[in-house]
Amino acid sequence: MKTVKTIGINSNQPVGRGFNFPYDIAIKEDLGKSRTIYLLNRSNSATRMGTRIQYFTYEEDWIGEFGNPLEDDEAKFTRPVTLAFDNSDQLHVTDEATDEIKIFNSEGKFQRSIKLDSDSQGNGDRFGPAGIAIDSGDFIYVSSRYLNLIQKLTPEGRVVKEWGGTGGGPGEFSMPWGMDVDSQGDLYVADWRNDRIQKFDSEGIFLKTYGESGRGVGQFHRPSSVAVDANLNVAVADWGNERVQILDNAGSVINVLEGEATLSKWSHEWLDVNLDEREARNRADLKVLDLPDHLKNAYHEASQTEHKFWGPVSVKFDSENQLYVTEHSRHRIQVFEPAS
Amino acid sequence: MPESQIELIAHLARRAGFGATREELEEYGKIGYEGTVDKLLETSSPQWMSEYLIRRYHPDESSMLAGLSGLEAWLYRMITTDAPLLEKMTLFWHGIFATGYPKVLNAKPLSDQIRMFKKYAMGDFRDLLVEMARDPAMIIWLDNQQNHKDSINENFGRELLELFSMGVGNYTEDDVKECARAFTGWTIGNCEYMELRSARDSDWPYGRISWHYEFDAQDHDDGEKEFLGRKGNFNGEDIVEIICEQEATARFIARHIYHFFVADEPPVPQWPYQPPRDPEAINQIVQAYFDSNYDIKSVMKFVFNSDFFKSEDCWYEKVKSPAELVTGVMRLTESVDRPQYEHSSRQLRMQYMGQTLSNPPSVEGWDGGTTWIDTGALVERMNFASEELGKLETPGSKELFSKIAFEGNGEVEADRIIDICLKHLGTINVKDDTRSKLVDYASENGVIRVIDQEIDDVGKEKIAGVVKLIASTPEFQRA
Repeated sequence: MKTVKTIGINSNQPVGRGFNFPYDIAIKEDLGKSRTIYLLNRSNSATRMGTRIQYFTYEEDWIGEFGNPLEDDEAKFTRPVTLAFDNSDQLHVTDEATDEIKIFNSEGKFQRSIKLDSDSQGNGDRFGPAGIAIDSGDFIYVSSRYLNLIQKLTPEGRVVKEWGGTGGGPGEFSMPWGMDVDSQGDLYVADWRNDRIQKFDSEGIFLKTYGESGRGVGQFHRPSSVAVDANLNVAVADWGNERVQILDNAGSVINVLEGEATLSKWSHEWLDVNLDEREARNRADLKVLDLPDHLKNAYHEASQTEHKFWGPVSVKFDSENQLYVTEHSRHRIQVFEPAS
Repeated sequence: MPESQIELIAHLARRAGFGATREELEEYGKIGYEGTVDKLLETSSPQWMSEYLIRRYHPDESSMLAGLSGLEAWLYRMITTDAPLLEKMTLFWHGIFATGYPKVLNAKPLSDQIRMFKKYAMGDFRDLLVEMARDPAMIIWLDNQQNHKDSINENFGRELLELFSMGVGNYTEDDVKECARAFTGWTIGNCEYMELRSARDSDWPYGRISWHYEFDAQDHDDGEKEFLGRKGNFNGEDIVEIICEQEATARFIARHIYHFFVADEPPVPQWPYQPPRDPEAINQIVQAYFDSNYDIKSVMKFVFNSDFFKSEDCWYEKVKSPAELVTGVMRLTESVDRPQYEHSSRQLRMQYMGQTLSNPPSVEGWDGGTTWIDTGALVERMNFASEELGKLETPGSKELFSKIAFEGNGEVEADRIIDICLKHLGTINVKDDTRSKLVDYASENGVIRVIDQEIDDVGKEKIAGVVKLIASTPEFQRA
């Protein structure tokens, strides 16, 4: 993969363009014409003032936002996690604090919500919906971080299949997070605390595991998101290792990305009106890395630089196999394309 | 083990940690008092709630945008750690080397400073002082990035002597200047850009970039200096070596240790004018400091095993800081086993009680002692402890109910209820008149009856009422 561009800018304002701990994106494509990106701002724990969804074009033309806690009760979020469009451009958003999936149209108008059963296993724990994926038949897959299972739902929210359980064996989970469905209808789950990706068919039959715990190539540390391109290559947000790994469908690593951010259009616009900061920035070496012992790891190194991934929480492909990596701690999206 | 030994270990647990449950105390009892001291001092592989787990639920707590939100992660760590003394030592050094967000304006370097304290908290005091001088947040906090070879800024040099090591009155103004000269060139990487961004509280374009220490040899004054009667081409490390050799340093640190771990002393600015509460104890700590070649862990071992520490005269002689109170209460509830939506408010409650970590009132830190108590803060402290400990559904409350139910079917005497509750809340010794009021309260609210080893909801509410009252007693609010 090679870098294409960087999108976004950081802002801690509760309204307007600018990202605030972005957690996921969904891409709405009008094939051959335009791509609109919907970005979920998780925002800060204490105030949630910036919690909302913003949407804008691939070219960074701002369109609007919705779901702000300052808005009406039905639409607002508490702890939103992931996004997915169905085949009618209805945007589905999981909220792990309220145990529901909220559904909006592409203009951000709230449509309805699906309440998830908080006690389906009778242990008194909450569902905690994390990842979401929707297949070509509009069946919804949602992962539960607390119950360690996957539910398959009809578009109306009726459970048609449920599988999983707590553990590290095949088909078991430990705090699963992001998911994706490939073109053949198979489901991929970021099995977060088990440091692996699991693949299932649409009926929940276990097919395969990718990766294991570790810091080496082909190993993962707390993977948060997975995406599959048209060639069935698998991108994994190797979140705890501050990198993204691309695997072929058999599991061989094709690429390891650590981030190559450039200045986005919005960032250039800001620096154009803050010239002294641009000049000081140009004189700085933002790749320098000589850290004391207690700060020598990927997380701290990422915090000291600007080009590297910091908190690569979500991976998504568009129809041209371009990869979008959303970083919550750098408040931006880095876009990559397949090497020719 | 006799109850008196459990009570002594409970005193140790309040001071070297955040208190302990009865079950923890009984476990400690099996290895005895000195064994418990050794166990608490063993902090080489502490376990606490995974930072990845925290980061997944609160991504802001490991980043830099949301001012003080990294402190919520520290609060999680204090509540869930199995090495409470390490957290107490970190709080101790944070109170002395107090560094505040309002000037630093970058949360990650402040979190990194707390990480640094944890690494060096119980090692050689020289190492801690050198790392503190290299700490990026400290450099910005005390302007050492503006301390240049051809124009010194003495701010860091002065505070190193006045507040961090020797105390006022033990050095001259010339010593301050020579000290500052030795630390010229101790700065942060990309200083110009980082300073500009920090001064503007600027988040752009992709959030704050963290800081790292950099030594600028071109800007360092390596000429001869005269410091505390010694001459040489001293650099910062040499200055720290000389400082640590001083008896004034040993006395200053000894009094801080006594103030934080043994019994409240007056605020630091009064120290030159008021003798220590227990001069002989200070002498003994000074001796331990030199005998151990400035090893803080050895000094703490000496303090915890000393007669002056174990003496009942100093039990409950310290007012818990808000950080200690909030942490101790949440540990007793045993309810924080995962990141929680409600967690952010706990940090805010601490703030309402008068303490925001990494935001001290001044470079002198918090005065501590009775200054924690004013009418507003006291109400907030009692309300917080009562609300959290009075919740019926926490694992801590359920454990208490099962202990009372274990008494057997029938009515449980009020006196016995009070006994069980006081033990459950960390083996607290209350004064006789306090105890008698607690018994009266338990009696007046009707009997608590156990049927089939269960207590009904009304009975549980009554027990929770007793717990809330105990949480408001002076003994619970003190350590």
